[in-house]
Amino acid sequence: MKLLINGVEKEVNADPDTPLLWVIREELKMTGTKFGCGMGLCGACTVHLNGQAIRSCITPVQSVEGASITTIEGIGSVDQPHPLQSAWQALNVPQCGYCQSGQLMSAAALLANNPTPNDEDIMAAMTGNLCRCGTYPRIHAAIRQASGQAESPMAATVAYWEAQV
Amino acid sequence: MSQQDNGQCLSRRDFFKVSATTGGALLIAVQLPGCASLPAGQAENALRPNAWLEVTPDNQVILTLDRVEMGQGTMTGMATLLGEELHVSPDRIKVVFAPVAEDYRQPDYGLQITGGSTSISSNWVRLREAGAAGRMMIEAAAAQLWQVPVTRVQAIDGVCQVAGNAAVLSYGELASLAALQRVPSSPALTAPENYRYIGKQSKRLDAQAKSFGQARFGIDVQLPGMRYAVLSRPPVAGGKVKRVDRARAQAAPGVVKVIETACGVAVVAEQYWQARKAQRLLDIEWDHGELAQISTDQVFDCYARALNDGASDVRDEGDFEAARVTADRTLKVEYRAPFLAHATLEPQNCTVHITKDKCEIWAPTQGPDIARAVARRETGFSSDQIQVHTTYIGGGFGRRLTQDFVAEAVAIARHLDTPVKLIWSREEDTRHDHYRPASLHRLEATFNAEGKVTGWRHDIAAPRILDHFVGDAAGAVAPGWTPQPMVRLAAGLAKLTQPDPSPVEGAQDLPYEIANLNVRYAKADAGIPISYWRSVGHSTNGFVTESFVDELAHAEGKDPVAYRLALLPATSRLRTVLIAATETAGWRQSLSEGRFQGVACHKSFGSYAAQVIEVSVVDGDIKIHRVVCAIDCGQVVNPDLVVAQMQSGIIFGLSAALYGNITHKEGQVEQSNFHDQPILRMPQTPRIEVVIVKSQISPTGVGEPGVPPVAPALANALFSATGQRLRSLPLVLA
Ligand code: FES
Ligand code: FES
Repeated sequence: MKLLINGVEKEVNADPDTPLLWVIREELKMTGTKFGCGMGLCGACTVHLNGQAIRSCITPVQSVEGASITTIEGIGSVDQPHPLQSAWQALNVPQCGYCQSGQLMSAAALLANNPTPNDEDIMAAMTGNLCRCGTYPRIHAAIRQASGQAESPMAATVAYWEAQV
Repeated sequence: MSQQDNGQCLSRRDFFKVSATTGGALLIAVQLPGCASLPAGQAENALRPNAWLEVTPDNQVILTLDRVEMGQGTMTGMATLLGEELHVSPDRIKVVFAPVAEDYRQPDYGLQITGGSTSISSNWVRLREAGAAGRMMIEAAAAQLWQVPVTRVQAIDGVCQVAGNAAVLSYGELASLAALQRVPSSPALTAPENYRYIGKQSKRLDAQAKSFGQARFGIDVQLPGMRYAVLSRPPVAGGKVKRVDRARAQAAPGVVKVIETACGVAVVAEQYWQARKAQRLLDIEWDHGELAQISTDQVFDCYARALNDGASDVRDEGDFEAARVTADRTLKVEYRAPFLAHATLEPQNCTVHITKDKCEIWAPTQGPDIARAVARRETGFSSDQIQVHTTYIGGGFGRRLTQDFVAEAVAIARHLDTPVKLIWSREEDTRHDHYRPASLHRLEATFNAEGKVTGWRHDIAAPRILDHFVGDAAGAVAPGWTPQPMVRLAAGLAKLTQPDPSPVEGAQDLPYEIANLNVRYAKADAGIPISYWRSVGHSTNGFVTESFVDELAHAEGKDPVAYRLALLPATSRLRTVLIAATETAGWRQSLSEGRFQGVACHKSFGSYAAQVIEVSVVDGDIKIHRVVCAIDCGQVVNPDLVVAQMQSGIIFGLSAALYGNITHKEGQVEQSNFHDQPILRMPQTPRIEVVIVKSQISPTGVGEPGVPPVAPALANALFSATGQRLRSLPLVLA
């Protein structure tokens, strides 16, 4: 079976019902895409299929033969980062980092289809991606920043207080 | 970090002898931790003044991180401490994860664990001294080379210079000469007003790798010839296999082996998915063991019985019984908290390769030395035959202090001659967790004729986490030669003799001045596996005490903030955070229509936190709009990381307060995945504002203290909004 991943054609020989996630991680040895739930509930495994965000943990590999698949390894590099990846670093978004590939892939699909999403659009696109570390406010802010919009209402605010005792 | 296996383990004294005869660069080898061999790639002429710092001749500055990075930002924080005194920007420091060695133990626990929000506090002096010692040796080397008094050498941004002299040498160029200098014993540290990196905003060192999918977590470990394992565990904790028919699974495509271990039945295959598919073909009959019938109701019955049988004092001031006799009125209520799962987004996993005389482990573990002890028990190998590599960790929250996933993987790997990676499914991760303990609380307050509170009694029934943890931990604390029966004996003894603050922390140290104060504890353990969970006992006791004090305020007809301030001692640092949070939030001032606020404050892990939560309730739906959090964690090392940890703790706390509930029926956990055990999603996340109290007191915890005030502040807000006092978690409106 042939897969088109990040613009490169790859030959894989997994059982046809194997979820795309495991083919990407094990056979193609691209471990940026993560396993979180296996039920389409967390978004850690998000990749693009013909430009749309999908959950690779519930996508049988046979169903994507011939389609164009993009993973986190394919949207930008340290030298040529995706605008989201620059914003992610600028705002110190990641904590443990485990969910972040999936978050970035959902956000990248959103911006590709809608370059200046409003808050509702962002919420709708990102609600399928869980973050146990609670980086949502920064993810929201980074999407706003990467799409050249005014600061997010969820952005981190910090003030200082003089000790009184 | 990989290490050469030189097949021998020198004691410290041996090392000293070797160095004395070979001299020169090796002198520094005496400082190598424990019996660690020289890590591969380490330059012979590098400066290694202690177990943490290395400066190589090619000008790399390397920090060996003795805590694990699981999102809390310890990597960045530690590099900041080292860099401050070394006079090197933290982002120039390369961080490697430490092997198991005595020098890397957390000094208060005597274990090499990451927990208790102690990474910064326990390394506050030690890492800055490590950096200062290195810098002083580099300065001494420059002085020797240039034949000037050392006081004239300036070390700035990784280079040395003498004023008025054009010559500049990098730390790397000076490293081999620096290695020959005396290691200073207690170097002077920078005064706070001169900090260049501490307390300043800085980048997370791991942000880049984690924004490109390049951080390698435990689950990402790949080794040549590696197989994949899945494990069918007893559905009821403490159960075991009665009978298994493995024929169909064994015959499935890709299956390498079906293995029966003490932990269950493992299927090992060429690919993960093949193992999962074959697992469904296993036919196993289980012996469910003693917990076969246990239900959540029975757990709480067990707790209630323990309280009825009598609890023992953990704090007793004044005379509560007398206060009750003379009371005009009393308020007596019951609170409860459920078992909670950790739900780290990276499911438990572990990769192991066992050869004839060596066991190598790659694990996302919060306790690599306990992992090694567990492997010693499973294999019979000695400590120096076992090597533990830690990885980036996809969320810890205490889950990975328990080494069950390591024990399982080692047990499986013993039957294979290839490396094997064990991966848990989300369902397995939810059902076979070691949970935040459930607990039952009875509270009673007494009031005098003027309506003022005169007495507080808090009775707690809960299990002790230590009893569940000590079995594995004892192996890590005991010297390497200790036979397993003695380790078991020591663990058993610890259960009887060692105090465990976990069930009473945050209740025993109630900050309010009430004349007759009695906190009592009754040990009650229904046998459900439990462990540490972000903020541990504070997560339940914070909820109970801060809800109950709110009840008292309302009972006395007082404002909850003014009421707390009146009861807090004049010197309490809680006062400042309470004032900071409520003033920032505009406590009870001109709220929009339908909005209500609740407040709570709590001290944990040495830090003081207060939160104001703003909610609305429409048709029974709870919407959380805003959380203001004030934190006093002493000297701030990295303000943005403090903000991140407050955001993280608050969202974690909201997930627990709104949804967290692990229940049991006929011995089995009823929840399985994120649909029936949800956590907060982005649209439910409120706006979060953080206020940091300025301080130069030694730093204290930030990873956990943001959690305890969340549930009570929310419950108190819901009381304001609906008049319903919710005394049981998760918070569900009637
Ligand atoms: S792993 Fe695919 S959605 Fe969770
Ligand atoms: S950063 Fe840890 S799960 Fe999102």
